[in-house]
Amino acid sequence: MEPERRCGQCGKAIPWGQVECPFCAERGTFFWSFRRETFLLATLATLLLLFVATGFVARLYHAQEQSLAASWHRRGEAELRAGRANAAIEDFRNALVYARDNTQYRLQLAEALAAAGRVEEARNHLLNLREAEPGNGTVNLELARLAKRQGLVPEALRYFHHAIYGEWDDDPIAHRRQARLELSEFLLRSGMKAEAQAELIALANDLPPDPALHAQVGALLLRAGEYDHAAVLFKQALRLQPNLAEALEGAGETYFEMADYHNAQHYLERAVREDPNAPRASSLLETTEGVLGIDPFQRRLSSQERARRTVRAMKQAVARLESCAASRGIPLAGTSAPTPLQQLWARAQEVQPQVRERVLAREPDRIAPTMDLVFEIERAAEQECGTPQGLDQALLLLARGQGGTRP
Amino acid sequence: MTEPAAGPSPGARSSPLQGLFTSLREKLRLERGALALREQQLFLFLAVIIGIFSGLAVVLFRISIDEFRLWVLGSGLNPPTARVVLVPALAGLGIALLVMRVFPRVRGSGVNQTKAALYIYDGYIPFNTVIGKFLTCVLAIGSGQSLGPEDPSLQMGAGIASALGWRLRLSREHVRLIAPVGAAAGLAAAFNSPISAVLFVIEEVIGRWSAGVLGAIVLAAVSSVVVERWFLGAEPLFRIPAYHLVHPAELGAYAALGVVGGVASLIFVKLIGYARPRLKALPRWTQYLQPAAAGLLIGVMGLWLPQVMGAGYDYMDQAMHDQFPWRMLALLGAAKILATSLSFVSGTPGGMFAPALFVGAMMGGAVGGLEHHYFPWLTGSGGAYALVGIGTLFAGFLRVPFTSVFMVLEVSGNYSIILPVIISNTIAYVISRRYQPVPLFDMLSRQDGINLPSMEEQREEATLRIEDAMRPPAGPVLDGEELAGVAVAKAEASAQTFFLVRRKNGDWQGITEEDLRQRATDPHARLESILPDSRLPFLHPDQPLEVALRRIGPWPLLPVVHRADFGKLQGVISLADILNTYRKAKEEK
Repeated sequence: MEPERRCGQCGKAIPWGQVECPFCAERGTFFWSFRRETFLLATLATLLLLFVATGFVARLYHAQEQSLAASWHRRGEAELRAGRANAAIEDFRNALVYARDNTQYRLQLAEALAAAGRVEEARNHLLNLREAEPGNGTVNLELARLAKRQGLVPEALRYFHHAIYGEWDDDPIAHRRQARLELSEFLLRSGMKAEAQAELIALANDLPPDPALHAQVGALLLRAGEYDHAAVLFKQALRLQPNLAEALEGAGETYFEMADYHNAQHYLERAVREDPNAPRASSLLETTEGVLGIDPFQRRLSSQERARRTVRAMKQAVARLESCAASRGIPLAGTSAPTPLQQLWARAQEVQPQVRERVLAREPDRIAPTMDLVFEIERAAEQECGTPQGLDQALLLLARGQGGTRP
Repeated sequence: MTEPAAGPSPGARSSPLQGLFTSLREKLRLERGALALREQQLFLFLAVIIGIFSGLAVVLFRISIDEFRLWVLGSGLNPPTARVVLVPALAGLGIALLVMRVFPRVRGSGVNQTKAALYIYDGYIPFNTVIGKFLTCVLAIGSGQSLGPEDPSLQMGAGIASALGWRLRLSREHVRLIAPVGAAAGLAAAFNSPISAVLFVIEEVIGRWSAGVLGAIVLAAVSSVVVERWFLGAEPLFRIPAYHLVHPAELGAYAALGVVGGVASLIFVKLIGYARPRLKALPRWTQYLQPAAAGLLIGVMGLWLPQVMGAGYDYMDQAMHDQFPWRMLALLGAAKILATSLSFVSGTPGGMFAPALFVGAMMGGAVGGLEHHYFPWLTGSGGAYALVGIGTLFAGFLRVPFTSVFMVLEVSGNYSIILPVIISNTIAYVISRRYQPVPLFDMLSRQDGINLPSMEEQREEATLRIEDAMRPPAGPVLDGEELAGVAVAKAEASAQTFFLVRRKNGDWQGITEEDLRQRATDPHARLESILPDSRLPFLHPDQPLEVALRRIGPWPLLPVVHRADFGKLQGVISLADILNTYRKAKEEK
């Protein structure tokens, strides 16, 4: 540090690093010669010019920032679409450097983080967005999706509800509907049927005239066990678009579940006609036809036909009983403490002489007790050997309906 | 034929506009003296102009830093490897050339240079320092050196203010104070927070609350922030995390943050204090290479931890929003201390405000994350800890406890955070002061061979008061109402030669024994009636001792009286008492 020196002319201290007194030197300059007022005016003019110039520079700077942000965002979107979540994360982060408060970019960053399995980071981003906008529907919905993914049921439900009652920038009704649909699916997957039914019924009451949406909600109601509401929605969908395969199949399945096999057959046949490759509709149709083909209680059947169906059902049930017992290694005859299968087999052997077409046609009152035994056998076999296929399944469905179409 | 008149003749009709113009010109010419601004008005007006200029300078400075960064490192957060390693080193070479050859005064702290202008150079800061600081800091911060733009902004503001003040030929008193006015404007624009900037300048540069300068500082700070927000938007430096105290016991967690912040501040200051003089003592030619070497090392660090490069505001923002795990935050805090120390001690121009904030945010986030990990029911988000942490480092590292509290309040806009901030900041400040008696800025100025007044020492200097020096009167106190003969008898019975006289109206007078004897020709006259007309100044026990020094004048003794009853004597004080008290205080020190 050099020692302090003072100017011989003005007496002021000369700053370190200076050879001559800067104050006296400056006095000789052009600007120093200005009067105070003139200099002040010149200063104001300079200020104005600098203000304008800075405004111009700042405008270019902001335009560049926006362009960089958009460019990184585009890259991020492309990477995310291509499944390269890690690259997308970096791109979205870069975009956010130039547009820090852009909610859309941050949402997509969270999406990319979640896709890359960095759920906790994604959650933090979303929680930050939620801090700023607690009522933001999109943010709450994304948080609900993350919580759903993490299996955090109460948290997911809370965010779903915030999303449903939250604020949406565009088309809030559609977004709320979508959130409620996702919530309903989540509830069904979590085994909370009663809660799902409440959500779906609320949703069903306010649907736009969109057949696909009606069919979608109907399918969820079907899964929730709300067959009456489901049937109504499928019918509404079919009124809007009569050949909508999903609605036909859904309606068929709904009636099938309601054990209304005639209506089920009606819709399932139409569904298969619309989409011959629909495996579910074809399989259900086959089962429905099986049920309708073996049910002796259907209306407008001749006594002969009822008797024939009863005999066929009995034969099928006994065969099922025997094969089930054989598969489990249970001997059907001669034990002191008979099992249910053995008891049923003994009862079947007992009634066997009366289960003949001629006898049953002559004495139709025997049909109902015979069929009750058939149903008992099928239920017991299901309990012992699992769900059957084909004709046995049809009989079991009839059993569930307590006699199917019995008048 | 009549000659055409040169101007409008009295009888001729002139247009109303012409008349108005002529009268205005006349008025301006005649009353130019009256139009001239008076000094105090000019000072305040100039504060606004300085604020606008500083705001514009800071806007251009920040844009230039960003543009240079884009140019040399690209627009991504993770630049290509070769650039990360080479750019800071190459820029370091350029910076060294500029600093050594063209702008020698841009080295060092802008705060200290502003203080030097105030206390040594009559407010003078050469304008080329502003240009030099602008260019070299753009190169340094834009290339990734671990420094911040606040301290340079402060110095640019001070330089602009100094230039305007000198050229407008302000009075000596005002021109001295103009640099701090500009400093506040520069800092306010850089931080986008005018209150913190005003407080910082008062707390660290001026050191006193002076009504004369406070108005100008506030005007300048507000003007600069308005300009900065006009062009760069009103967004704060960080998106502020939500804060709520989970449980009163959480304050203990903030106390722990204070301890960590205090220790981190100590390490930071000690590292700079140890390395800086040693590097400066190396041969001169090495100073051309030191910024480049620092840049190279920081570039290598940046390969693994790119967050430590530059000012790091984006990463502070991320830390405040729980984007890093606590281990990463702790690592970043430690790495930033090392990187900033490297940059600063190498002589690279740039500020340490942003790095201090960075270290604070990271350490705060780390402490918050760690505590949340082990006591999830006890603590809130790590983001709130990061926010408190920036104040903690500010208090511990820069040693500005008052500013540190208000800065967090101003930045967060959340008054409820004040309790954790005060607890954490106080602990950090106490730890730092206990183990590092000399604050950072004072240490830097002393290393540079300048003994600038230490604001902390001034703040903490025990003020001597009159009660420390006063004593009970040795002789009798005379009453103005008593008879002159009685007074003379009392005086003769005393060993004293000077006596205090209490007048009926509460005033005090003093008289020597000899004078009393001469005037008491009539022993039955009242004492008041024979006394000279002069009154004795009096003092109160709580007044600073220097007041007594100013008032005592030729009097051998002054009365120290009660504030509510001026006639009630509480003690007396003499020049010898004053000097003895000062001497004793110095010996005790």
